[in-house]
Amino acid sequence: MSPTGVSYWGIPGYVIFWVLFAIALGLFAQRAYFLFRLMRLGKPENRFDRIGQRIKTMLVELVPQWCTLKTVTRTDRAGIGHALFFWCFALFFISYIIFIGLAGGFGLSSLIERTPFETVYFSILDIAAALVTLTLIVAAVRRYVIRPQRLEPTAEAGFILMMVFFLMVLHVFGGAFDHAARGVHASWPPLGGALAGLLRNAGLSQGTLEAGYRGVWWLHYLVILSFMVYIPRSKHLHILASPVNAFFKPLGPKVVLEPVPLEGVETFGASKIQDFTWKDLLDLYACAVCGRCHVNCPAQLTGKTLSPREVIHNLKEHLLEAGPGLLARQTEASSESPSETQARTEPKAMIGNVVTEEEIWACTTCGACQEVCPVNIEHIRKIIDLRRNLVMTQSKMPESAQLMLRNMQSRGHPWAGIQSMRLRGDWTSGLDLKILAEGDNADTLFWVGCTGALVERNVKATLSMTAVMKAAGVDFAVLGDAETCCGDPARRAGYDFQFQIMAEQNIDMFKSHNVKEIVTSCPHCYNTIKHEYPRYGGDFKVVHYTQLIADLIKEGRLKLTNELNAKLTYHDPCYLGRYNDVYLEPRRILQAIPKTKLEEMERSRATGFCCGGGGGLMWIEEQPGTTKINQMRLEDVIKTGAETVVTACPYCLQMFEDSIEHKGLKDSLKARDLVELVEAAMKQS
Amino acid sequence: MNTIVCVKQVLDPEIPPAKFKIDPEAKQVIPPPGVPPVISVYDERAVEAACRLKDKHKGKITVISMGSAKASDVIKHAISMGADDGFVLQDPAFENLDSFGTAYVLGKAIQKIGGYDLVLCGRQAADWGAGQVGSILAEILGLPVITLACDVQAVDKKVRVKRMVNDGYEVVEAPMPSLVTVSSEIGLPRLPGGMGLMMARKKQIPVWKAQDIGAETSQLDKANAHTEITALSVPTRKTECEIVTGGTPGEAASNLASKLIKLL
Repeated sequence: MSPTGVSYWGIPGYVIFWVLFAIALGLFAQRAYFLFRLMRLGKPENRFDRIGQRIKTMLVELVPQWCTLKTVTRTDRAGIGHALFFWCFALFFISYIIFIGLAGGFGLSSLIERTPFETVYFSILDIAAALVTLTLIVAAVRRYVIRPQRLEPTAEAGFILMMVFFLMVLHVFGGAFDHAARGVHASWPPLGGALAGLLRNAGLSQGTLEAGYRGVWWLHYLVILSFMVYIPRSKHLHILASPVNAFFKPLGPKVVLEPVPLEGVETFGASKIQDFTWKDLLDLYACAVCGRCHVNCPAQLTGKTLSPREVIHNLKEHLLEAGPGLLARQTEASSESPSETQARTEPKAMIGNVVTEEEIWACTTCGACQEVCPVNIEHIRKIIDLRRNLVMTQSKMPESAQLMLRNMQSRGHPWAGIQSMRLRGDWTSGLDLKILAEGDNADTLFWVGCTGALVERNVKATLSMTAVMKAAGVDFAVLGDAETCCGDPARRAGYDFQFQIMAEQNIDMFKSHNVKEIVTSCPHCYNTIKHEYPRYGGDFKVVHYTQLIADLIKEGRLKLTNELNAKLTYHDPCYLGRYNDVYLEPRRILQAIPKTKLEEMERSRATGFCCGGGGGLMWIEEQPGTTKINQMRLEDVIKTGAETVVTACPYCLQMFEDSIEHKGLKDSLKARDLVELVEAAMKQS
Repeated sequence: MNTIVCVKQVLDPEIPPAKFKIDPEAKQVIPPPGVPPVISVYDERAVEAACRLKDKHKGKITVISMGSAKASDVIKHAISMGADDGFVLQDPAFENLDSFGTAYVLGKAIQKIGGYDLVLCGRQAADWGAGQVGSILAEILGLPVITLACDVQAVDKKVRVKRMVNDGYEVVEAPMPSLVTVSSEIGLPRLPGGMGLMMARKKQIPVWKAQDIGAETSQLDKANAHTEITALSVPTRKTECEIVTGGTPGEAASNLASKLIKLL
């Protein structure tokens, strides 16, 4: 008989079962509703489109545990442990519903207990329990003995490990006492069966065994219920929030920046926690503080104060701390009683206390944090929302940022004042190019970008690009001195007004020339025009030059015959790789060049390490740290033994030129744009 | 309080020196292609000073610029920062004027606008750098003038100005209306906000010709000019680089210091 069928101190077991359940559910619901209301403090954002695709995406991440297995590397195998936990726990969760809920709570024990189904399921659970225990030991050793950099050994984590272990023990003992009390001799389930034998041999009386079974059963039930109560109150909230977060993850571009309204609002960006959208707040719940972002963040690794893990964690703490007050104000405001609400203390300022300006300006927006995040947290848009507030509302920013933004605003590009600057359109002189004048039309536009047009070193790559396209017979036009900035540096630095104006102007210009396709040199222009212009009415086919050249080679329009005989390595630009998943094309091009030996860096493709120039940091002074990001990246290059580091982004190219010079390696190591190699390989010499 | 700010559109001073070209015969600068002219840096500071006054005391900011039709760009820039209105003064007669001619035209426009408490100019233009227009303009308008301001406040119908002097600053007061020329020490001008940028985009900037402001073209005749350019040339730049060394960093520093002392 199920332990719920017995009366205790005159109270039927069923009553106790359901009263306990009601209490636990009540406590769970109370917290869940509180968290839901907190989340609703955020601004609206529409993430309710393409429901079917969202469900599919969520299931694909969750069920096969792709979310965490994708992060497994040679040095970090914790993801395997998580997957084991997840699968085993799924089995246990179902068992709780069947063997405790249905059998105990609904009195269906006669249908379930002592059936072959029970034996089979319990046997599987026994194996799962063994696996979980083993994984627990590994997890505990890892967390408290090995202590990887990404984890903070908190008491909370230790508590949950103990709880899980306790659940496993209770499961095995439950089965064992059951068998022993009923006098069943069976080798399945293996652990329960074996333990049952030990209990019998211990000479316990039948009454003790039966009481033991009931005791273990109720304890097991209590631990499960306390789990239910505890989860939404701990970092293990991620168990509930991360599947929801996977459902609402961006389906298109990985970094989605909401446009800032130009009129009708007084503050821009986020200065208070409720200035974020609800999805941003949901992100905070989803965080399990696993710290994968922490050990992949170039700012953190080079000794800056920024840690994406801490930013998210601190924002969550802040939300939980400030939230009740905000909710109270909200209800009082809606019930139209003025008075005391005003007196209630404002929560502390978020910028400066929760996230510092130093942290906000250290981010290169490289996306490494988001790439490794198993729970789909969108860190970058939060950093940019904080920058937006600093720049557009508070006018507080590093002087270098202000100079860059002022240049964007009055000169249409971020490059003024550098020594090796050219003038816009200069690079076209002496070339037979189709330069679009007013009224001219062109199907394919080669969008050079500010850096490729204005900076001496990058102009070389631009010239190579035109030579390559001409040689392949591509029919293209350029804008010459009529080209302006795409707006990316302004947007990443938080000056969205300027970005929007540039986007609208450029879209109008593209339309006035009937442009269908845009080829870009710079991955930042590529990303901006491709993913961010559509929000402003600009839908064009956008191609990065590596994609175009890879196609030209494939179609046989471009023949690379010259041997370069160089040992080289390829650096993935963040905005080409992680942001747009263009990993293959540059490598295919390199493979098409005869006799090149490509040595990959350890951090490449999706885990590629930033050059330090993204997110406006090409112009904004790097925050103080132990080293510069581009110098750390150069060490990766040096480790490969390559003589040439190849990239496909003007910022990366400059960052490498700079770090090579700084290290005094100019004679042994060259930084080249991929298109320069293509031109060299194609020339008849 | 109402402020009128005079701004000038100049060749971008940030272009690489090698790209700066002149025509020695015509004694004129040849603007390089593909470089949009910008607001003169000091004039932008004058707009900033006006905006700070407006932040505190409300009122209206009107911006005027004498130059080509493209000067509407600098007016729009000022509007994006917070100015309310602006006019371009353009007429063939206004071309290549000296400081006196410029001040005369600006004076006429300011008289036409009227109703002002303060006129602000940059301390000098970033191109010719004569630094005369402000003072001459004050003379024409019959206003007190305070030059080289690093802080401008309005206190009880008076303007209180911190004025740069060689070894610091002095504080000077003048009754309103007066004219103040603003120096770069006032601080970086603000980045335009969203509202300002929208306003600037929508705004039509009227163009006033000589007859619109009642300027006598005879006054602007070359023969009446007070200044004559006799020659124009680009200075040759020579840079020499010397690495100062020493056995220890301290020694290197003292070697550097003694070199610098010799150069002073």
